[in-house]
Amino acid sequence: MKISSAIKVALLVVISAFYLFPLYWTLITSLKIPTDIFTSPPVFLPIKITLSNFFTPGSIIGAVSQTAVGSIPWMIDSSVVAGLATLASTFLIGAPSAYALTRLMKRGLWLGRLVLFMTLIPEAAMLVPFYLIVIGLHLLNTWWGLMLVYLSFTAPFATWLMMGFFNDVPKAVEESASIDGLSSYQIFYKISLRLVTPGLVAAIILSFISCWNELLYALVLTYSPFPGGAQTVPVFISGFIIIEKGFAWGGLAAAGIFTMLPTLVLGVLAQKYMARGLTLGAVKG
Amino acid sequence: MLPLLVYFLIFFLYPVVQLFTSAFTSGSGSFTLNNFHRMFTDPAMAQILPTTFYYFIGSLGLEFLVGLGVALLVYSYTGRLRGVVRTLILLPLAMSPVVVALMWMLMFDLNYGPINYFLGLLGVPAQNWLGNTSLSLPSLIITNAWEFSPFIFLVVYAGLQMIPVELHEAANVDGLGRFQTFRYVTLPSIRASIVVALTLDAIGVLKGFDLVYVLTNGGPGYSTSVLSFYIYEVGFSFLQAHYAAALSLLYLAIIIAFVAAVIKFTSLEDYLGLKKMVEK
Repeated sequence: MKISSAIKVALLVVISAFYLFPLYWTLITSLKIPTDIFTSPPVFLPIKITLSNFFTPGSIIGAVSQTAVGSIPWMIDSSVVAGLATLASTFLIGAPSAYALTRLMKRGLWLGRLVLFMTLIPEAAMLVPFYLIVIGLHLLNTWWGLMLVYLSFTAPFATWLMMGFFNDVPKAVEESASIDGLSSYQIFYKISLRLVTPGLVAAIILSFISCWNELLYALVLTYSPFPGGAQTVPVFISGFIIIEKGFAWGGLAAAGIFTMLPTLVLGVLAQKYMARGLTLGAVKG
Repeated sequence: MLPLLVYFLIFFLYPVVQLFTSAFTSGSGSFTLNNFHRMFTDPAMAQILPTTFYYFIGSLGLEFLVGLGVALLVYSYTGRLRGVVRTLILLPLAMSPVVVALMWMLMFDLNYGPINYFLGLLGVPAQNWLGNTSLSLPSLIITNAWEFSPFIFLVVYAGLQMIPVELHEAANVDGLGRFQTFRYVTLPSIRASIVVALTLDAIGVLKGFDLVYVLTNGGPGYSTSVLSFYIYEVGFSFLQAHYAAALSLLYLAIIIAFVAAVIKFTSLEDYLGLKKMVEK
């Protein structure tokens, strides 16, 4: 490599700054006093910082409506829905289906293709039928309705991911268990499932993040927050933005930072699974 | 086996049948082709299809160039901070697109945003990034690239790390220059990674809704209305479920055609390990 390392390091700094700066800017905006937010030239290193944006929207002109800490009911909905959808798709559908596809079935290719294809279906294409189904089941604005629809993308994803992990378990392990007289159900439950724990963790964390961040289905299937409703955090934030953009920048930035923390922490913790999950197993990293 | 088929029935076949029923009926429930006829005469569609196309090509192209460039750079850097830089670049992938849209609204702000400030230092007058019909789509593409170029980076970087060191040493011994090494050694070695990265990113871009909804709400005018956004708008703002169903079928057909073409012309299924996984 001919590029001298000084230039290389400089380029890396520029790249890191490119990815970090919007986050930094949002963070300091959430901590700024209003006069530092609405000023030009912008304040890049605020001297006075405050946490009040997290409790009051800090709006000067706009219709003061919501706050970062006010998002807690929406966070409860997001956590419950994402948690239920994730557990159901991983344990009830994903792991057993993946085990069946990789171990038990003779003609798994077409079913495998089907699972892969279902992970690629866009939400918007299924919006109308899922809306009609949820209405028909009288589950509009409920945890169960939203969770059910979230299974449409978490279950194929979990299945596909777990197929890769089951495939990595050496067959000899299961064969010896079978010689020891375990039934195939016992082998699945007592041996194989234990050996793919990293896969289960990866499926759970990544499904949870994608449910927590999902906007489109939540937008049409829910209309009020906990208690009584099931509206999730992305709907809260987008509604907050529509009302307060240009006015309560401080309150909005605070809400963004506050609600982003759970998935950001999970994402950093699950970094080594992120590659495998997001690439549908193409990268084993 | 049976649970998977039941699942498929409930979550795919039944909704798709319902899409067909809605798309081929009118409000009164009688058979009609009007919803498809309207697709071709709808003046909005004359803007939405090109916008979707430019958004697709622009986002995919920018994400690929940035992601590939960053991956090659981080790969060629062997210092201590490599892991930190990698983590940093991956952060956007764990963020909610809604919050990413908010972050970039702050960045693009006409009066107080840092982008207009930095451009001002270079003598460029302040631009109304999100409110100007000729800048709104590029702004959307930039935001999209910020959030999803790390995906390309992730895949390509992982591919680079799997290249055996001996391969580069051999190229060195054979006296290949930097460009030749890249062209004949590095590039063929990461072919699989590139196909996977491009395909999955393309699907991700086509799926995109959240950034459009929050950042520009499809506007100004229809300048950032992509197909996914228009389906939502027709179905849930204009409350025309039957027309939205017809549009959904078009959308689904585009995705299926794209995936089928990729599977036919590349070894995507092998790269994802499909056959290996289902073979006994």
